Amino acid sequence: MGIAWGEYKSDSYDELFEAPGQARPAGRKLAKYLAELTAQELSERRLAAELAIKVMGISFTVYSEGQNVDRSWPFDIIPRVIPKAEWQRTEKGLKQRVRALNAFIQDIYSEQKVIKDKVFPRALLADSVNYRKQCEDVKPRGGVWAHVCGSDLVRDRDGTLYVLEDNLRVPSGVSYMIENRAVIKRVFPELFETTAIRPVDDYPAQLYDTLAELSPRSGNRPNIVLLTPGIYNSAYFEHCYLAQQMGVALVEGPDLFVDDDDVCYLRTIEGPQRVDVIYRRIDDLFLDPEVFNKESVLGAKGLMRAWSKGKVALANAPGAGVADDKVVYTFVPKFIRYYLDEEPILPNVESFLCYDDKQREHVLENLDKLVVKPANESGGYGMLMGPKSSKKEREKFRELIEANPRNYMAQPVLSLSTAPTLVDGGIEPRHLDLRPFILSRENPYVTMGGLTRVALEKGSLVVNSSQGGGSKDTWIVDTDEGDE
Amino acid sequence: MLSRVADNLYWCGRYLQRAENTARLVTVNGHLLLDLPKQVQTGWQPLIEILGMEKKFASLYDDATEANVIRFLLTDERSPASILSSVRRAREIVRTVRDSMPQETWEKLNDINLLLQADGDKGLNRRYRQEFLQRVIDACLLLFGVLTSNMSRDVGFQFLRLGTNLEQADMTTRILDVRSVNLIHTRAAEELRPFENIQWMSVLRSLTAYEMYRRLVRERVQGDRVLRFLLQDREFPRSVVFCLVRMQRTLPKLPEKRSVERAITRTLALLRDADVESLMEKGLSEFLDEVQVGIAGIDDALSDAYFKAS
Repeated sequence: MGIAWGEYKSDSYDELFEAPGQARPAGRKLAKYLAELTAQELSERRLAAELAIKVMGISFTVYSEGQNVDRSWPFDIIPRVIPKAEWQRTEKGLKQRVRALNAFIQDIYSEQKVIKDKVFPRALLADSVNYRKQCEDVKPRGGVWAHVCGSDLVRDRDGTLYVLEDNLRVPSGVSYMIENRAVIKRVFPELFETTAIRPVDDYPAQLYDTLAELSPRSGNRPNIVLLTPGIYNSAYFEHCYLAQQMGVALVEGPDLFVDDDDVCYLRTIEGPQRVDVIYRRIDDLFLDPEVFNKESVLGAKGLMRAWSKGKVALANAPGAGVADDKVVYTFVPKFIRYYLDEEPILPNVESFLCYDDKQREHVLENLDKLVVKPANESGGYGMLMGPKSSKKEREKFRELIEANPRNYMAQPVLSLSTAPTLVDGGIEPRHLDLRPFILSRENPYVTMGGLTRVALEKGSLVVNSSQGGGSKDTWIVDTDEGDE
Repeated sequence: MLSRVADNLYWCGRYLQRAENTARLVTVNGHLLLDLPKQVQTGWQPLIEILGMEKKFASLYDDATEANVIRFLLTDERSPASILSSVRRAREIVRTVRDSMPQETWEKLNDINLLLQADGDKGLNRRYRQEFLQRVIDACLLLFGVLTSNMSRDVGFQFLRLGTNLEQADMTTRILDVRSVNLIHTRAAEELRPFENIQWMSVLRSLTAYEMYRRLVRERVQGDRVLRFLLQDREFPRSVVFCLVRMQRTLPKLPEKRSVERAITRTLALLRDADVESLMEKGLSEFLDEVQVGIAGIDDALSDAYFKAS
């Protein structure tokens, strides 16, 4: 027989069930449908999904694996369901947050009112590794620096959605969000007939519009390119995917050059072709060997020159990472009040900053209970998971924090919500998070849901695909429609 | 089209054509050695010379034994001349331009790569070599089939074609160059005359030209006719003139570049004007060198005109 939901129990907040055997309203149809499938049917669907992923060539790249750089995307077929009403509120909160972040970046590179008004300490800026002097006094169109933002949301035991971090440099994952939906449509087509699931596929078109708005030349169709570091990058699949979906050229550093007129050109067989907008998926420091890392062959000489003179637009703008820092993160609620004069809709996770003597003391005393994060790492690297750490690891972090307090912050361990996930022994709860993507422009756009990442290992809280995470399709379900 | 993508497609064509030619070259040399008497045994060294890899080979191996040369040409990762290297480079290229080619290209290329990895050692063993090489050749032909039947005749396809044709013209000239030196040597000694023919036959066979030659020439295999056929024939797809004419016909589909056109026309004129009979008596090697310079000139012109735009 099918799944016995009565036996499914989670120690945390569960996304699908409010109590054993009792699904939340938005997920009722899904739970009922799954319960009607036999174990054999379920495993057939799972195989079908795996096959679809192979055939569609959905892959991601793992660094240290030598020749074999492509790996199939780990995917769980049971969707994660979010009710539409909750999502609408979240969407508002995300737009609000990114608006404040952009205002902060613009301010910090020009007047620095936020420092003069003592909302943000100058000392923190001085130590920021993502602050770029070269960006001072540059004014990108509309004051938008972070055109594409990927914010990570987690839900704690009490059901509240918190923002865990904002990725403002080169956030990735959005292509998987779209591909996950395509896979699920192949696997569970019946469910789409009975449930009002919001579509997610217009992201590439929205991204294209966002980029096109940035063109320094008016009139003609702008020449937009996607700049990738190349096939060894873990997100290369996504770069290809987005370039293809937007119908723009996928280029590498050596394809571009900036001439004496500060205009950026593309090397083509017809000769040089002017570029208007670069959606860059390489880090600031590799963008331009003239200004940053001299060894870089990923970017193009003179790109910063062309950008600061307004001859080419870069998305995200260089220097936007100054706000993508786990220490700056803790100030975002203040920024929302300061710049927008509004109350934050989405809360931050409680955080302790190690540069502050009192807070640092608290952190050092409670290393075994907290998660310690370096300010500028992503992908889950360089963290200390207090409750799971060894004494040696905690000692190492104590030294690291004392040597460079500005670079560390700590948060309580959240329990992270769970959702039913198909594993070898049947169906079990697994922890997950959510990464929606926000496009900033005159009329901002938020993806319908986002990428749900799930820690496939039992009890694990690490959801990164580079560290054994998988993903689920995310459904924003309208419960007002239909027969409920 | 991006210069880099054009460049990549061109080289993809070259590497695939090279892999196929190398497989044929090894096959035919093996057959030839079975037929020749000891005095005219050339061994395996000429294959290294044909590919212009003398230095590289010497840096990796002590002598040109059968086992060493075969390894060097089939599965040695360190050898730029090995089929494995050609296939891997083609694969790396296709990975970066996957969006310009049919999906099947990638799959078929993976198949060849897997074949070399899994069964590469069979090529080292005389008993299985023939069968193994045939599989490699089949796999290459399958790939060309996928490309010609599934790929739009867009600009990208033209660059791929430029690559396969230039590589073939280059290979044909190299094979003739190295083999003919030995043949002229054979000619000098009266008692070895009977073996001259089978050597010319093997030249034809390395280019799968034997049957086509017989149908066209209808006489027994003779040096000057073989040369004329492989250099000047207008209908045989591996003759140098045929390849260059194909390249010439491709040009109108690309942005106009006089330098490329001139380089091709010049080399074609050189080939068409050649008096093959007198070259057989004297100056063949110098002439073939000149053709090689011409081909290298076309490669340079293409690179300057399309791949380095700035």
